[in-house]
This record gives sequence, C-alpha cells and structure tokens, in this order.
Amino acid sequence: MTALIGEATGEVLRDGAGRPVRSQPPRGRTQRSRRVRYALTVAAFLLPSAVPLAMFTLGPMIGAAWISLTEWNLISPATWVGLDNYATLLTDPETGEVFLHTLYYIAGYLPMVYIGGLAIALALNTALRGRTLLRGIYFLPVVTSWIVVALVWRWLLNPANGVVNTVLAFFGIDGPGWWTDPAWAMPSIILASAWKDLGFVMVILLAGLQAIDPELLDAARVDGAGWWRRLFSVILPLLSPATFFVIVISLINGFQVFDQVYAMTGGGPGGATQVVVQQIYDLTFRYGQAGEASALSWMLFAVILAVTLIQIRGQRRWVNYG
Amino acid sequence: MAETTLTAPAPARGTRRRSAAARAALSRSVLLHVVMVIGALAMFFPFYWTVVTSLTPGTGLSSTPSLIPADPGFDAYRQLFSDLPFARIVGNSLLLATITTLAQLFTSATAAYAFSRLPFRGRTVVFGIYLATMMIPLQVLVVPLFAELRAWGLVDTYLGALLPTLAAAFGVFLLRQAMNQVPVELDEAAAIDGAGHFRIFWTVILPNIRPALATLAVFAFMGSWNNFLWPLVVLRSPELQTLPVALAGLQGQYTTQWDVVMAGSVVSILPMLAIYLFAQKYVIQGVANTGLK
Amino acid sequence: MRNTALAGVGIVAAAALALTGCAAGDQSSDEAEGPVTITYSNFISNGGNEENLQAIVDAFEEEHPDITVEVTTLPYADYGTALQTDLAAGTVSDVFDIEYANFAQYQANGALAELSPEDSGAYRASVLEAYQADGAQYALPSSFSTVVLFYNSDLFEAAGVETPTGDWTWAEELAAAEELTDEGAGIWGDHQPVSFYEYYKVLAQNGGEFLNADGTAVAFNTPEGVEAAEWLVEKSGTVMPSIEDGQGTPDFDTNLFLDGKLAMLHTGIWMFGAFADVPFGWDIAVEPGNAQQASALFSNAVGVSAGSEHQEAAARFAEFLTSSDVMVQTRLDAGWELPAISDEAALDSYLTLGDPANRQAVFDSLEQVALPPVVAQGQQEMQDIMTEELVEAQAGRKTVQEALDSAEERINAAIGG
Repeated sequence: MTALIGEATGEVLRDGAGRPVRSQPPRGRTQRSRRVRYALTVAAFLLPSAVPLAMFTLGPMIGAAWISLTEWNLISPATWVGLDNYATLLTDPETGEVFLHTLYYIAGYLPMVYIGGLAIALALNTALRGRTLLRGIYFLPVVTSWIVVALVWRWLLNPANGVVNTVLAFFGIDGPGWWTDPAWAMPSIILASAWKDLGFVMVILLAGLQAIDPELLDAARVDGAGWWRRLFSVILPLLSPATFFVIVISLINGFQVFDQVYAMTGGGPGGATQVVVQQIYDLTFRYGQAGEASALSWMLFAVILAVTLIQIRGQRRWVNYG
Repeated sequence: MAETTLTAPAPARGTRRRSAAARAALSRSVLLHVVMVIGALAMFFPFYWTVVTSLTPGTGLSSTPSLIPADPGFDAYRQLFSDLPFARIVGNSLLLATITTLAQLFTSATAAYAFSRLPFRGRTVVFGIYLATMMIPLQVLVVPLFAELRAWGLVDTYLGALLPTLAAAFGVFLLRQAMNQVPVELDEAAAIDGAGHFRIFWTVILPNIRPALATLAVFAFMGSWNNFLWPLVVLRSPELQTLPVALAGLQGQYTTQWDVVMAGSVVSILPMLAIYLFAQKYVIQGVANTGLK
Repeated sequence: MRNTALAGVGIVAAAALALTGCAAGDQSSDEAEGPVTITYSNFISNGGNEENLQAIVDAFEEEHPDITVEVTTLPYADYGTALQTDLAAGTVSDVFDIEYANFAQYQANGALAELSPEDSGAYRASVLEAYQADGAQYALPSSFSTVVLFYNSDLFEAAGVETPTGDWTWAEELAAAEELTDEGAGIWGDHQPVSFYEYYKVLAQNGGEFLNADGTAVAFNTPEGVEAAEWLVEKSGTVMPSIEDGQGTPDFDTNLFLDGKLAMLHTGIWMFGAFADVPFGWDIAVEPGNAQQASALFSNAVGVSAGSEHQEAAARFAEFLTSSDVMVQTRLDAGWELPAISDEAALDSYLTLGDPANRQAVFDSLEQVALPPVVAQGQQEMQDIMTEELVEAQAGRKTVQEALDSAEERINAAIGG
C-alpha cells in the first residue's frame, strides 16, 4: 500500500515487468463507433463499483457536510444553522477532551504493537523451529472481531474475578479496577487492542525483514557491528517502508477507534474513554444531535487527512525505498 | 514484490568445531525458542479462557473458573440458543458476509481490470478518487447514509445493511496490483485469437490472479463478519441482528453471566477460525503484500 | 417539595378524577381489523420481572385473541439510545416505555400518538395529568416507585448497631456505616450509586435546587450542592466499595447485597422481588435526609407510536398494561413497582404482602419526594454529564468543586444552546 500512496501522488502506471502501460486508446477505421464501443466497455467495467461508491461513500460524504450546517435530531425537520455546530464544537472543552482521549489511545497502542510486532518478527525471521505454527498463533487474534476482543478482555480484566487479577492476587498484588476505573480504563482498551493487532503488524514487518538482502547484514557483521548496531543501522532503515505503512495505517485506524471502546466501556467510566467516534455515535443516536455529530465527523476526517498528508510529505526524510 | 514467501533463508551451518561462541549461540537459540513459545501461549490464552469459561456453567459474579473445568457443560450454549434467536443471528451474519464477499469480488475485479487494462482519459484521477474513499471513515458517513436509506425505506432490511458494503476501494487496489503482474503478452495473444475485453477478463486475467481473489474473498468475508457500527444502527429488529451486534447486546442482558457471554463469543470466533485455518496462506500473504507494495 | 403535577401522587386522597372528554365510541370497529401483531419494547421488566410482564401480556392476549403482542426487553442503560435510534429510523415499536423525564421531549418531537383511555378514572389523576400536553393524553402511567434505604438486619444485629428508622439523617447513616464496615470480612457498610439520579435527590435532601426557576441553567453549584456531592462521592473507598472494587458496574451493588456483604443499600422498591428469597433478614426505611427528607420518585409510562399502523390495538394494550386488574395483581404480588391506579383499597393490600415488613415506608417516602429536573432539550446529555463529573470526583481525578464547576459549564451549554 505504499504504492497506493505513491500513485496517489502521481506515479506512472506500470505493468508487471515495470514497463509503462500503453496509454493510448485503440484507434481504427470506423473510429467513432469503436470509440463509443470502447467507452461503453470501460463503463461496463467501472460502473459496478463506481455507482455504489458514489451513492454510498462520496454522496453521503457531501450529505454529511450539508447536515453539519443544520440542527437536526433525525426526527423533526432540520433547521439551517450555518457554522454554529462548528463554533459550538470549537468552544466546547469536551471536543478537545475526546480528541485527547483518542490521542492517548494512539500513543499507547502504536508503540506497543510496533515494538511488540517488531520483536516477534525479528525472532520469527531466524532459524526457529515451528515458525509457521508460531506465526499462525500470533496472527490468530487478527481474524477475531473487535466486539469479541472487547468482551473477552472485559472478562479477563474483570476486577472482581477476572483471571488477570486472580493471577496478580496469587502473587500478592492487588490488581487495579481495569475498565471500571477511570485511570485504568484506557490502558485496558489499549491492551486488548494491541493483543488483537500485534499479529497484523508482525506479518507486515516480517515481510519487510525477509525482503532485506542478507548480504548487507553479513557485510555489517564482518565490519564488526553488534546486534543492536545492525538493528539500528541496517535493519530499521531498510525496514522503513514497512514501518511507514504500519504508522500510516495505525494512525488512520487509531483516530477511528470505536468498536472496542463501545463494547468495553461505552466511553466511561466518567467519560474517561470517550473517544471521537464514540462521541459522534452518542451525539447522533443518544442525544439526537445529528448536525453537531456530522460537524465532528468532518473535523475528524480533516484531522485524518492532514495527518496522513503530513506523513506522506515527511516520508522522503526517513523512508528508504532502496 | 507480490509473491513474498515468508520463509527465511536457511542459516548457514558450516562450522564443525564447537567453539564457545557456538555454544553461546546455541543457548541463545534455546532461550529464544522458550520465549517465543511462552509468548505464543500468552497470545493463545484468551481463546482458551473463553472456551473454558463458556463450558463452566454458572460463572457469575464472584467465581473464577478453574483452568481445567471440573464439570464442563453446555448449559451456556443451550441458554444462548433458547433465550435469543441465535441460530437466526448466525444465519444473518453468514448471509450478509457471503453476499458482501461475492459482490466485492465482482465489483473489485471489474474495476481493477479497467484500471489495469483499459486506458482512458483521467484514469489516474479516477483511481485517485477510488483510493481516497479508503481514507473516509465510515463514521463520517453514518448519519447521511442512515438518512439516505431511511428515505428509501431500507432501514431495518438486509438490503440496507448490504448496499454500503458492495464496493470497496481496498479490493480494487489489491486486485489491480495482481493484474498488473499478469504479462500483457497474454492479453495480446488472446486478442489475436479474437477475444474481446470481456473474454480476456474472464479467461485470461481472472484465472491468473486466483491467489489475490482468494485473499480478497477472505478479507471481505472477515470484514463483513466482524462489521459492527453500520449493522448496529441500520438493523433494528432483533431477528435481523448480526453476531457482533447481538454479542454487544448480550453483555447488557447477561451482565454477570460470563459463561453465556463467552459462549456467544466462541460461536462468533469459530467460523472465522475455520476459514483462517483453511486459508491461512492467503490471509497472511494478503497482509504481507499490502504492506510491501 | 417540587411543584410538578406528580408531587401529589403520594397523598392518599387523590381527588379530581378528571374524565377526559373523548371516551370514543368508535373503538369497537377495531375487531373487524382481523388478527394483528403489535410490538412492545420495554425496560421496566428487565432484571427480574420479565415473567411478570409476560403474565400480563398473556392475560391481554387471552382477552383479545385477535391481537398478538411481541415483547422486546432491553437493559435500562441501552434503552434510551435504542429508542432514540428507532424513532429516527421509523422502526419504533407500536407501544414503548417512556420515563417521565423524557416525556416532554418525545411529545414535542411528535413521536407519541394521542390516547383516549376508556376509563381514565382508573388512574391516579395527578399521575395521569403528568402525561398530558395541551389538554390531550399522550402516554399512560404504568407505574411509580421510590428509592428507599434497604438494610440487612442480620449484619446490624451482629455489629450491635441500631437499625435505620425514618428519622435518620446522613450523620446517623454514616456513623452506622462506619461501624458496620469490616474490610477483613469483606463487609461494606453502605452503597449509594454515584449518578445524576442520586445527586438531584441528595441535593434536595440538602435543601438545594438542581435547576434555576425557569429551567434554563443549573443552580447546584452552591455550598449545599457541594456538600451534597461530597456526601455522594466520599463514601466510596471508606464505607462503600470503590471503583477499583468494581463499584459502578451493572448489578454490582444488588449482587453484593444478595451475597450478604452489604449492610445498607440505596435502591428502588422494584428490587423487592429480587430480594424475596435471601437467607438473611432485611427491611427498608425512608432514606435519611440532611436539611430535609426527600425521596426519589420515578414514574414510568407507555406511549403509542404516532407512526403505528395498529393504533387501536396498541392503545388497547397500553391501557390494559397500565390499568387492568391483572396488571395490578401481578405487580402487587411480585413486589414490582406500584401501579399508578386510583384504587386505594388495592394498594392497601400492598402493605401486608410479605417482605419487607416495613412497607409503610414506601408510602411514607411519598410524602416528601424529589422529582428529576426536566429541561426542554438536552435531557439525556444533562444526565450523562452530571454522572460523568461525579464519577470523576469519586475517582479522585477532580475535586468535588472542580467537578461541579465543570458540570455547571457543560450542562448549561447543553441545555441552553
């Protein structure tokens, strides 16, 4: 998907052999009818996807912009309020809080999955017995739904009789209240999320590691570079495209975190885990303020877009495409 | 590029003399094995605990199940299927996931063919727009989608749940990558034999991207099976609910009956687990490829 | 106390049985409609009264063989969101529960159909009037209930502490709770939820007001308000389980009481049935006050959806559900919430129906009630913000004063803007 980002910024399309794909439409004798036929062919191939995307993604996207300029409870008719919803959101301290909670999530989640995923990938990239089985197990949580992950971890981290606190008590440690405690609720969500996504990050990094030319590592070893030195001077720079991908995807997904929050804490206790999307959901379906919710949606989209674009611009500084 | 094999090159074993360094390397290797196995057990434990809890009837407010259930029973499962239309709920999830998968295979493959094989004016821009839709969070769309489908009378119908999932830019991107690997010479040979684009698409391209189609199928199925927010708001009737939505509701209803909640989780995990075991190669390579390029 | 129509509920002589004019004669035409199925979505039966509700539904179906009722029961915590979403989706049930606090908002949104009960005289006039707007009836009261102080008399006896009486104040409750708390044995002295619903009440007990006179801004950020909030949040971790102990999760408090590990519990009289078979002695008392007594009075009602295709059948069911003899008997027998009926004789039998012995306290608690503050818009938000800020203070992440400052600012923005 690094290619995805490259192409969005205007790379030339190439076929499998790396040659530019021919970019001239076919010409012939009865040019006109052939062109019409060709256009129809293109349309036939594109419309099955273009129509749903236009109707259920791009259209609603514009619809959301319109709704964000109204006050609407989804039941009575909407009234036009101009930019009021944005003004309300920008002055409401809660808006800052929900973004902060989201950043807290990302700040906890991203280092955990990256460092954990990298460690496992490095280990799996050595001559390890049962590597395929191990990889399969580490990857297993990835196919589980967020709701199940949330329920299972609610149970594991249940303060009274969850297995984690039971084990901690065995060692004489008085376990915290986890998701019931405002101070521990977000760490609980982060822990559950990292468990689910560790395998995903690991597989991406592993693929990146395997693409590294072993001769480069041998050369570094011959030069007397120790393990850490090789990691920081050879492996990580060569792994930077995969790292970049992990960071871009994790940030996009991180800003959109919702399912596991909804099912683990519902934004509580005391609003301690109220993230942006939970706020959008509550505004819409609990408080009947679809206009304000749409304005917040657009703010979220703008933030995601800005963060992603900044990363794409900044990637030349540190991402090494070999 | 695409065909990354995930097996590391075999390490060079040449030295016969067992030096101190070699012994140190051996003990390091043993240690690594131990750490990795413990790590894998820790990763697997939540699944194990879920199953154990679901088989320990009456796991409630204060009891913690034992590691190996002394008196396992299926009471929780029986309760699940008798209290809720749970068979119907599993059926709903299967139905939606199957249709979504087939639809995405079709819409993605056709679009990918256009982007890979049919040059036209503004193609780069159109492709860019497709990719941009991947960055739009569903949450941004929930309110207007809800209003749109309500206007068509499709809230609380299967169709309402399905429509927004029919096409996904991710699939287009994935399949286009795979189609770009198929040599153009194959198309040209077929064209000389008189094949049009529809035949080339069907008989030349599709058979050559089977692994990518398998990957997309698994991802689309998984995405639908685990989808939450949209089904949560659009499917209102209890008998239309999907598994994740019903599960999220379970914990409100059985707040302290963890055996029932975990039984529901097991039912939800099993089908995905079966698919994963069956198609592990495609899933993992799919993830690896999206990351690589 | 508060001047709302409901305040008179407890006063024994419920006078003025205002018969609403429109006792429609056209209702019999309904029979021609053929068999219909209507839906009813509720929270009132969740958590132990599901079978009691089913008994009422069965009786209705027997009386009306052409009408089938499909019941959906949701936990109270999920109900508000589900109802709001269903109203937005146009998929709301034909008949659905509403709380008094949310009635005005749903009525204003046009969600509720106008009703004309055949026998308005069966209802307590004052409660019935609470669900009227512009002279028309928009919902029928199904029940009312109060919150009282439950106590485990065995634990009191073991600790040698006098059991609560109706004249206790906060100080006496706290003193008893301190004596009863025995951390070694895992016994807690007291439990009172930290939430909006408790706060407006303890505020009233302390002589404060939640909203200003015209309901446009909050009025709780006063010394009385701070003291009330302190009373609510500072028990946690000393005489009451803290958040780390799991306090605040659903059913935590009632389960603790059922386990015999909680001496005092503030909860509603709807728990009588759930506590019926406990292996220890228990009873109730009117909640202690501070400056004055004030008990939380809740009233639930059922409305018929304005968009229902079977309004006749739905209205029949709504009336049966709220005023039939079967309902009265089922509710009284089960110790569920009290039916909002005018028949005092039927309610008298409630006093002698078994545990708890001091059922008189239920009626005593009605003499001084605190009603939930109601605002024209942002009701749910106001409630959520209040609970959220109180929990922040309980968890020690804010001081009580900071939490109230923040709650004041946020609620004023939510209900004014």
